[in-house]
Amino acid sequence: MSSETGETGKAGIIVAAEDAPPVDKLSHAVLDDLLYNIIHDLVVKVHRDEKVARANTAAIKVEKLALNAIDGATTDHKPDVEIETDAAIYKDGRVTLKGNPLTTTKEVLCPRCHLPRLLHPTDGKGAKKPDPGVIYCKKHPYIEKPGYDIYGQTWVAPGPGRGKKKKDQKLDPSDPSSPAPGAEGSAKDRPPNVLSFPSATCSKCKRCILVTRLNNHMGSCIGNSGRNASRAAAQKISNGSNAGSQNNDNTPPGSQKGTPRPGSRGASPRKRDGDEFDEDGEESDQTVTNPKKKKLKPNALNKKVVLKPKSPATSGGNMKKDKTKGSSMLNVEQKVDDKDSTVQVAPKKLTPNAKGVSPAKKIKLGPAKPPLPSPAGKKGKRDRDMESESSGTLSSPPPR
Amino acid sequence: MAARPTTPASPKNQKVKAPQPGQPMYGCEHLQRLFNQDQATTNTSIQHYKAILRTIFDSIPLIPQTAKTLDGQIVTSLTPTYLCLQCPSTLTEADRTKHGSKKSHRFYVESRSGALYCQMCDDIVWDPTFEELRLKKLGTGTFSNRKRKNEELFETSDPVRDNPTYISSNTTAASCKASGLRGIYNAGATCYQNVVLQSFLHNPILRNFYLSDGHSSTSCETPHCLSCAMDDMFQDFYAIENTNGYTAANILSGFWISEKKAFENLVTTKEQDAHEFFQFLAEELHERNGDGRKPEIGSEHSCNCIIHQCFYGKLQSTTTCQNCSGVTHQVQSFLDLSLPLENLSHKKGKKGASSRPSPGSLTLQECLDEEYIKSDKCEYRCHNCSSMQQARRQTSIKRLPNVLSIQLKRFEYKQGRHERAAKIDTTVQFPLELNMLPYTNRARGQDAKEDYELARSCIYDLLSVVVHVGEIDTGHYLSYCRVGDQWFAFNDHKVELAQKSDVLNSRAYLLFYVVRSLS
Repeated sequence: MSSETGETGKAGIIVAAEDAPPVDKLSHAVLDDLLYNIIHDLVVKVHRDEKVARANTAAIKVEKLALNAIDGATTDHKPDVEIETDAAIYKDGRVTLKGNPLTTTKEVLCPRCHLPRLLHPTDGKGAKKPDPGVIYCKKHPYIEKPGYDIYGQTWVAPGPGRGKKKKDQKLDPSDPSSPAPGAEGSAKDRPPNVLSFPSATCSKCKRCILVTRLNNHMGSCIGNSGRNASRAAAQKISNGSNAGSQNNDNTPPGSQKGTPRPGSRGASPRKRDGDEFDEDGEESDQTVTNPKKKKLKPNALNKKVVLKPKSPATSGGNMKKDKTKGSSMLNVEQKVDDKDSTVQVAPKKLTPNAKGVSPAKKIKLGPAKPPLPSPAGKKGKRDRDMESESSGTLSSPPPR
Repeated sequence: MAARPTTPASPKNQKVKAPQPGQPMYGCEHLQRLFNQDQATTNTSIQHYKAILRTIFDSIPLIPQTAKTLDGQIVTSLTPTYLCLQCPSTLTEADRTKHGSKKSHRFYVESRSGALYCQMCDDIVWDPTFEELRLKKLGTGTFSNRKRKNEELFETSDPVRDNPTYISSNTTAASCKASGLRGIYNAGATCYQNVVLQSFLHNPILRNFYLSDGHSSTSCETPHCLSCAMDDMFQDFYAIENTNGYTAANILSGFWISEKKAFENLVTTKEQDAHEFFQFLAEELHERNGDGRKPEIGSEHSCNCIIHQCFYGKLQSTTTCQNCSGVTHQVQSFLDLSLPLENLSHKKGKKGASSRPSPGSLTLQECLDEEYIKSDKCEYRCHNCSSMQQARRQTSIKRLPNVLSIQLKRFEYKQGRHERAAKIDTTVQFPLELNMLPYTNRARGQDAKEDYELARSCIYDLLSVVVHVGEIDTGHYLSYCRVGDQWFAFNDHKVELAQKSDVLNSRAYLLFYVVRSLS
């Protein structure tokens, strides 16, 4: 113990009272030493990183000078020249240091691209404005700023159920990672660090789907197992008004009353479900022709009003319904697809997926959502869902 | 490399590390002078440095921490001491200068980290030659370059590949911006996948495997191969400048297409259990990369695939018959350790708050103690007695995996009118550094406590943490991953810096620890 050198340990921060008993003093000294060690280890680590970086910078600089000195005449990595800078000497193809690189070298060059490293974040905590005249290495210090990620990016709120049409229209076309962004230039309204959710291509149907809907889409596009189908059937029986489709026309007549059927397409029953996302569906799908779009839009709008109260269903029930709907849709849609693969199919097909996808947040918040307009009916439906669900799907009870 | 250090025992000449581009040859001018004196000085310096490192890292800390002051007094200190490189003395910081001026010894090794202090610089110097030795000692516990067990995981010593121009002429360097830190978009209740994928992405063993073309998606024939999807994802994370979130479309579709019956339940659009997904992904990747045999959890089956090398360890359960004292061993391989919290947290609750400041909280070590140190009673059919007997069963870890994954079973069945699962929200404190030695079967030996080398091979560092927030049936997954010494919080597409305290205060569900020394 270094207790004899003073009243406490090496750090000298944790000091016992003058008149404290020896055991107190000893324990204070031990704690103080441990604190010293923690700081010591941290400093050694930082010192190593920094000194090695500076030493390498000195070496890189002098090597660059040496390469320049021979004017690129040879591609040899060891030019036969002697160069000396403030920090290092280049001789016989080796670099040796002059003095302590911590004092001789002030900047840090990236060992890979040999460009100077930006030493302060550009935004958020500890930010400094970088010198605009310098080209920095692309590896920047990470940004620490509430609401932004380490690259200073933020995302437009996906906003399920809010500001529907306009929001969605803005969202999709401006998407940077979608293969061919739409012509509308709403992206320009946003600062470049505000990103929107991208779209991805479904590996099966090659359609472009907004990422937040991808899982649901794949569920209906790829994962249409018999189990789902049977559930869909059960769902359809119990809940014909929602899952009705024109191909197997046992839909209760009442459900289609309010639905004007536009021509032979007969897409409307489905349309209602997906109203919310119709727009991005069309937007992301470049094959959609304009006139069609226009024709479909008003439809969707109308239906939306009718069905809106249903969308904020509680999580479990909602998800399940969507899924079943999705799969039931699929059965039908596949057929339509085969017969007539015109563009309108795309938006239609997307619709079932659309609603459930309103990204995870919505699902998560499920239980906390405000009460439904028609609690009794919903509840019944949900219970049925639960029953059908419990048929062996929950093998283990993990936290979900 | 040209300057491969010779094996420690050989009387051959020690060599200074060959000059590397972009790196000075020596740590400072003074070391340069030392190394350029003559071969004998270089030899003794390097040998002494190795000996000192062995003292620091292989013996009990008391030895390097004990110094002799100039007036002959023996002092043991908690704070660092300095071991002279040129003679066998150990000095306190205060006496270092005096020793230097008396004996003109200028170089000392700091006793906590093994770093070299140069008195003439009055600074710690990081010499490439010494630093390589130090890192090797720290990393593998040995100076030799002997082939590593999992050789294909790491760079091989093929003479063609050892040529430094081989790599530069055959590869394109990834951008400095590509750091592997990207979020993954939530494709609709897929956060349970994202957290597991992030922990895979920041797993050094899997990363090295995929980035060294361990599974090439260009030559793989399997349609919708999940391993190819992983390969693509690693490429996108570590080679592309994009900082936007990643869309794991291929993983997702591979997952949907997969015909694993055991995990059929996972294929829904609902929220799922991250642990189940982890098991699914591990088994799927094993099948793509491994011997093609179906892994049976519980059997001793092991193969050389990347997943087995990474995650699989072995458990040994020893059953001792209470009647005839006959002992039977059973070995099982495991992908992860599942630790129940239920009983322990109840027990804790009963014991009362007096024993602990926070009665509701557990430590990871307590959970491990319960499973892998304590024994339990059971009935079993003894071969010797040929009858059912009372027996004591004790499980311990026979082989530790390189990446230890631990699941804290945060769910229980509530007895009652409806049996339903509930989430256990008990805080479980887990360390950044975990010593697994007590839970191995080698800990039973008495001398094990003395064996520092063995102890060090059982030290694990926390690599990533998966956290579940919310209720049992609905909620959200977040994860924390460590890159170097920095922690990052991953929330779907969003990546943020995280403090260690954020990580340690989280209610972990899955923990991934990586072994410190890959030997």
